[in-house]
Amino acid sequence: MIGFRKFASQEWAGLAAIFVLGSALAAFLSPSFLTEYNIYVMLRSASVELLVAFSQMIVLAIGQMNLAVGALGGLVAVLFGAMLQLLGLPLPLAILIALLIGIVGGFINGLLTTRTGINGFIITLATGSAFTGINLGLTESRPFHGIPVEFVALGDSRWSFVPALLWPPLIVAPLLAIFLYRTKSGRKLLAVGGNMRAAELSGISANAMIIVAHAISGGLAGLAAVLAVSQLGAAQPEIGSTWLLISFAGPIIGGTALAGGYVSILGAMLAVLVIALIENMLVLMKVDPYWVRFALGGLVLVTVGVNRWRAHQMGRN
Amino acid sequence: MSTTDLAPTPRARFEIAPQLGLAIIVGLLVVVFAWKQPGFVSSFNLFGMGRSLAVDVTVGFSQMAVLATGGMNLAVGSIGVCSVMFAGYLMQDLGLPVPLAFLLAVMLGGLLGWLNGFTIVRSGVNAFIVTLASANLYSGAMLILTKAQPINVLPPIVSSIGSYEILGYASPALVVALVIGLALYVFYRYSVPGKETLMAGANARAASMSGIAVSRSIILAHVLSGVLAGVAGLMVVARVGAAMPAVGGEDWLLPSFLAPVLGGTALAGGFVSVVGTFLGAMLVTVIRSGLLFVNISNFWLQLFLGLFLLAAVLAQRYRGLFRMRLT
Repeated sequence: MIGFRKFASQEWAGLAAIFVLGSALAAFLSPSFLTEYNIYVMLRSASVELLVAFSQMIVLAIGQMNLAVGALGGLVAVLFGAMLQLLGLPLPLAILIALLIGIVGGFINGLLTTRTGINGFIITLATGSAFTGINLGLTESRPFHGIPVEFVALGDSRWSFVPALLWPPLIVAPLLAIFLYRTKSGRKLLAVGGNMRAAELSGISANAMIIVAHAISGGLAGLAAVLAVSQLGAAQPEIGSTWLLISFAGPIIGGTALAGGYVSILGAMLAVLVIALIENMLVLMKVDPYWVRFALGGLVLVTVGVNRWRAHQMGRN
Repeated sequence: MSTTDLAPTPRARFEIAPQLGLAIIVGLLVVVFAWKQPGFVSSFNLFGMGRSLAVDVTVGFSQMAVLATGGMNLAVGSIGVCSVMFAGYLMQDLGLPVPLAFLLAVMLGGLLGWLNGFTIVRSGVNAFIVTLASANLYSGAMLILTKAQPINVLPPIVSSIGSYEILGYASPALVVALVIGLALYVFYRYSVPGKETLMAGANARAASMSGIAVSRSIILAHVLSGVLAGVAGLMVVARVGAAMPAVGGEDWLLPSFLAPVLGGTALAGGFVSVVGTFLGAMLVTVIRSGLLFVNISNFWLQLFLGLFLLAAVLAQRYRGLFRMRLT
C-alpha cells in the first residue's frame, strides 16, 4: 500500500491514470483507435506539441511567461524554408541556423525583460507581434514549398507506431531534466524562479538565469518549428499561430507551478499525451474540430481548479 | 516606489506628460501621412478611420477596465465574437427588434465577463490562465453552436447605422465610444465603485483592510470588460452589416493591450488613463490606415504595432526611473 500511496502522490500519476483509462475508453468506442497507424498519427501530432510545451515550461520555471513561443516558431519556420528554397543551404546547416535564430529570438526576449524590468508578458506580447509582423511581411503569407524530399519523408517515417519526429522531444526531455536538476546552472535557474530575492542574496545572478531560460525557450520553439515543417511538408507562415493555448496547457496541467521554481517534465509530457488523445478521440468520433478548443479550455480550467482545491485540502490537514 | 506614491501630489501635472507626448506622435503621423497622400485626410478616409477607431477604443477600454485591478483579460476578443454571433442569432433567427437584440448581446458580454471574474475570485487562480482558458471555451462554444457560419441576413437598419455619416465624416460608433470614454472617466474619477476598483488594483491588501470588497471590485471590472467587448463587437456588426465568426478573437489581443499601455495605464493596476487609452487607440488606427496609404503592405502592420508597444513600455519604464532620480 505504501508503494501505491507514493505513486498516487506524484502529480503525474493522475495524468497517467487518465491516459490509460482514456485509451481504454477510446479503444472501446472506436475499433480503429488501437491500430498501429492511428497511434502513430497521434504521437506524431504530439511531437511538435511536446517541444512547444517544453518551450513554455522553461520560462514558467523562472516565474515568467512567453507569449512569443508561437510567433517565434512561425518566424523560424519561414526563415528555415527560405534558407532551403531560396538560398539552397544544405539541410544540417539550415537546421542549425534555424535553431540559432530561435535562440537569438529568445535571447532578445530575455535581454529586454531583464534590462527593462518590465514583466515578460508584455515584452513577449510585443516581440511576438514583431516576429509575426516580420514573418508575414517577408512571406506575404505564402508558404515555402521547396523543402528537400528526404526531410519531408522523415516527417512521415515511422518504426511500427513510433514516428521519427518523436525522437527529438524524447531526447530533449532527459536533457532538460539533467540540466534543471543535475547542473549548477539549472538549479540556479529554478532557485531564481522559486524566490528571486533569496536567490540574488545568495549570489545568483537572476538576470543571467532569466536570459538563459528565454534563450532555451527560443531554441525549443525553433526546434518545434523545424519539426512542424517536416511534418507539414512546407514552411507555412501560420505555423505557431495555434501554439499559445497548448504551450500553457501542457506544463500547467502537468503540474508546473505558474509562480515559478518548480517544473514537472514528465507531467508536461503526460499532459500533452492526454491532450493528443482527446484530439484523436474527437477526430475518430467525427465530432466538429471546434470541440477540441472547447475541451482544451475546459480541461485547463478544471485542472487548475482541482490543483487549487487539493492544495487547500492539504493545507487543512 | 509603491503605487500609492502616484496619488495626486503637486507633481501630478507630470502625469499628463505621457498623454501629451502620445498626442504629439499621433499628430505628427497624421501630418506625415497627409503630406505623402492628401487622400489620407479626405472626409471618406476620416469616416472610415473614425469607424475603426471606435472599435479600437472600445476594445482598449475593455482591457483597461481589468488592468485597473492589476489583472488582465485574454478573452476580450472571444467575448466580443460571442456577442456578435448572439446578436446575429437574435435578429435573424428569432426576429427580435434591433435595439433589444443589441441590448441582450451586450448583456451576454457582461455575463461572460462575470463568469471570468467569478472564477478568478473563487478559485484564486490568476487572471491570465483563467481568461486564456475561458477565451478558448467561449470561442469553442460559439464555433460549435454556429458551425462557423456567418449570419448575414440582418435587418437593413443595422448596416445603415454603420454607414450613417454625422456631419459628413463622423460615425455614430465614434460618438458611442466618446460617450463611453466620458462615462468611464466619471466612473473612475468620481464614483465610489470606480475609486474602489483603483484602490483594489493599487494595493489589494490595503484596500481590503480599509473595508473595500476587493473580490466584488474584481468581478465588477470583469463585467464591465465583458460589456465593453460586447459593444465593440456590435460596432463591427454595424460596420459589416453581418455577424461574422471571424470577428475579434486573437486579432483583438494586441490592440486591446496597445491602447491602454501606450496611454499610460499601469499594468500593475491602480492607475488608468481614459484619455491616454483613447490616444493609444488613435495611434493604432492611424498607423493601420496610414501604412495602406503609403503603400506599405498590411502584412508589416503587426511588426509596427509590436515595435510601438515595445517603445511605449520602454519609454514608460525610463521615464519612471528618471522621475525617481528627481525625487
